[in-house]
Amino acid sequence: MKAKIIRKKDISGFLDRLIQAYRVYAPVMQNGYFLFKTIKSGSEASLNYHNTKMSPKDILFPQSEVLFRYQLDKRGVEIDAPAQDERDLVIFGIRPCDVRGIQALDKVFSKNPKDPYFEERRNRTVIVGLGCKENHNGCFCTAVGGGPCADDGSDLFLIDIGDEYLIRVISDKGEVFLKGEDLPDAETQKIAFAAVVAEKAQDALRPCVEVQGSEDILTQRFNDPVWDVISEKCIGCGVCTYLCPTCHCFDICDEAVNKEGKGIRIWDSCQYPLFTRQASGPNPRDTVGKRMRQRIMHKFVYFPDEQGMLGCTGCGRCVIECPVNLDIREVLNILLRTGAAR
Amino acid sequence: MAEPKIEKWEPKIVAFLCNWCSYAGADLAGISRIQYPNNVRIIRVACSGQVNPWFILANIQQGIDGVLISGCHPGECHYLTGNYRARRKFALLKNFLQFVGLEEGRVHFTWVSASEGVRFAKVIEKVTDIVRSLGPAKKLVKRI
Amino acid sequence: MDALINRIRGIARDLLREGKVDVVIGFEEGTIPFHSRPCFVRSPDEADRLIWNSFCENNLATYVVKRNERMGIVAKGCDTRALLELIKERQVIRDQIYIIGVPCEGMIDRVRVEAELRNRSIQTVEVREGTFLIMGKDFEKELEIKEFLYPSCQVCTRKNPVIYDELAGEEVEESVGETYPDIESFEGFSDEKRWQYFSEEMSRCIRCYACRNACPLCYCTECFVDASNPQWIGKSIDESDTALFHIMRAFHLAGRCVDCGACERACPLGIDIRKLNRKLSKDVLALFNYKAGISLDEVAPLATYRPDDSEAFILEP
Repeated sequence: MKAKIIRKKDISGFLDRLIQAYRVYAPVMQNGYFLFKTIKSGSEASLNYHNTKMSPKDILFPQSEVLFRYQLDKRGVEIDAPAQDERDLVIFGIRPCDVRGIQALDKVFSKNPKDPYFEERRNRTVIVGLGCKENHNGCFCTAVGGGPCADDGSDLFLIDIGDEYLIRVISDKGEVFLKGEDLPDAETQKIAFAAVVAEKAQDALRPCVEVQGSEDILTQRFNDPVWDVISEKCIGCGVCTYLCPTCHCFDICDEAVNKEGKGIRIWDSCQYPLFTRQASGPNPRDTVGKRMRQRIMHKFVYFPDEQGMLGCTGCGRCVIECPVNLDIREVLNILLRTGAAR
Repeated sequence: MAEPKIEKWEPKIVAFLCNWCSYAGADLAGISRIQYPNNVRIIRVACSGQVNPWFILANIQQGIDGVLISGCHPGECHYLTGNYRARRKFALLKNFLQFVGLEEGRVHFTWVSASEGVRFAKVIEKVTDIVRSLGPAKKLVKRI
Repeated sequence: MDALINRIRGIARDLLREGKVDVVIGFEEGTIPFHSRPCFVRSPDEADRLIWNSFCENNLATYVVKRNERMGIVAKGCDTRALLELIKERQVIRDQIYIIGVPCEGMIDRVRVEAELRNRSIQTVEVREGTFLIMGKDFEKELEIKEFLYPSCQVCTRKNPVIYDELAGEEVEESVGETYPDIESFEGFSDEKRWQYFSEEMSRCIRCYACRNACPLCYCTECFVDASNPQWIGKSIDESDTALFHIMRAFHLAGRCVDCGACERACPLGIDIRKLNRKLSKDVLALFNYKAGISLDEVAPLATYRPDDSEAFILEP
């Protein structure tokens, strides 16, 4: 595998050059936390972070997206697709758990029927991943088959080796992307050192839950009252789903003012009480236990069944941000150990 | 010879008038041929207490430049206490909308009785002047 | 603190043993530092799960609504104020709950602590007398609790429970006087500055409704946001719709919000939600001489009127 070297102090200039031709999304600090934002200059970006508050899924799958606009006039209706930005996209400094999230979205939106809005952006996106040296309190990527330096899914992958980053060239797209830059090849000992850094980070993440074989046990426990016990404290705020890199439920609304209007796709959440309420009134998931069950089953049974990969990447945002500390790792342990649920 | 038409912005004002007093007062102004600015579009409601803050906000969202709510004088409400409830509600709402930065002259409240045709016309004139001086609605307006 | 915890556990144990309640709602240890979390104890032997510390930030009053069990509930000052309002609004019957009141000196603002530590990884935290010690992978830091309380705790004027069946700890000294210096200074800014601040805060909102769901007084089965006939506001992050969501939610809480701060803490993006609610609380106090969550006998301000209510806002032609 090819590998290049870039000095940390050259990153800002590198980004400045990218901005000339691409929409560059990078982690930006604001209000005390990090978010992926389009940057206008390389100095806005910071790679010195654990993870962003919101996952970068909103780059490819925005919270609110106009699907079409219409205008009524004397002759009839005029329908327009929304204007697209012509520049290609770069997601710079994205963590492996979030790259895996994009892979999950790929399964959903790039399969037949393809989602043209997602596809249009996805095909023009270069992913520059960033390996983790340190984890935060919610991380558990190793328990779900990922890792702090797992580079699959990225086009290029950065590993911090001190004053420099080693850039692993993963895909052809990545190789083409770096063509314009005159970056030195990485020496063998630096490649080896990067591998050591990756291994250290992997070892530092003590496994906290065993997800292997969970599909069967979870399916067996479908009707178990344990779901109500586990989720009793859930307040249905939906933050877990909004911040999750793989969650992709959406609603489509129409809005109009006088003679013009638009159709919009917006995020929705299976954790909201009214999510499954039907037009005539009945609600199949009318309790918190049923909604929590849906969340866990979807991520660990249905999604793997249908798409061949887990619906959870272990990023830990739901653990850190849940107002009532409903810890998905703990939930899984309770369900899988058939021990007493608290 | 036709005069060339000059397009000049004129404020759009919506007035929610209670059926028993203010609406009757507006009627009286009309019957008495008292002139008042035609910027106002009148919506008849049963009582000023019926007016939901959403009516006001929906108007603002749709780009209406000024909103007026008018009811019976305190003590004269056809439903006895409707306007008392409205008084409390709208005292809070007016301060609140101003607090978030909406221009103070966009939303108005007043009392006009069925016999006050002249007063109604004066209210409309004053509201129209204030709203005209503020210019077209910009804040909280929804753009499609 | 240990005496307090033992007291809480003792009361809970007795309530469950004597069959006076079906469940005791309190706090237990969380899975990560700085998080204690709600727990539901249904048998006397489980009473030892209950704890009390400076991370018990959730408002447990939200759990009593639409619950058919007889409940014991561990409630700090703001929680009891919310419970009082819920009782007044008949969302819970007074006899249905046994309130274990806990005087509270404030909860630690973990978001500000994380910012202070420049996002370095926290491994453990130990709360001491007036300070708390944070241990990370390669650092240690001790901070003053008083310097890192949540904004709602900093301005709290009812640290002691306003309603309770039993008090688990010693009452603490109250700050005196209802003042809103933050709102007063904000009111002094120009229209444009206020609008800009408000717009900037709202621009971060992702319409997750965590604020609404964390609020104990937001208990409507169908919220105005969910209504489709008519649809009052759009559901996207359109700036006008988002602004109206917050304006109307705050207005629906006028005279009902007890400033517990649960909304602000639940918001993942740190939006200054309480400013809106506090403005309305200030006006309700000034115009109607009413404060939410204090007295069971006082009627809610928008459910009543006085013949001499203020007419300062009425237009005179």
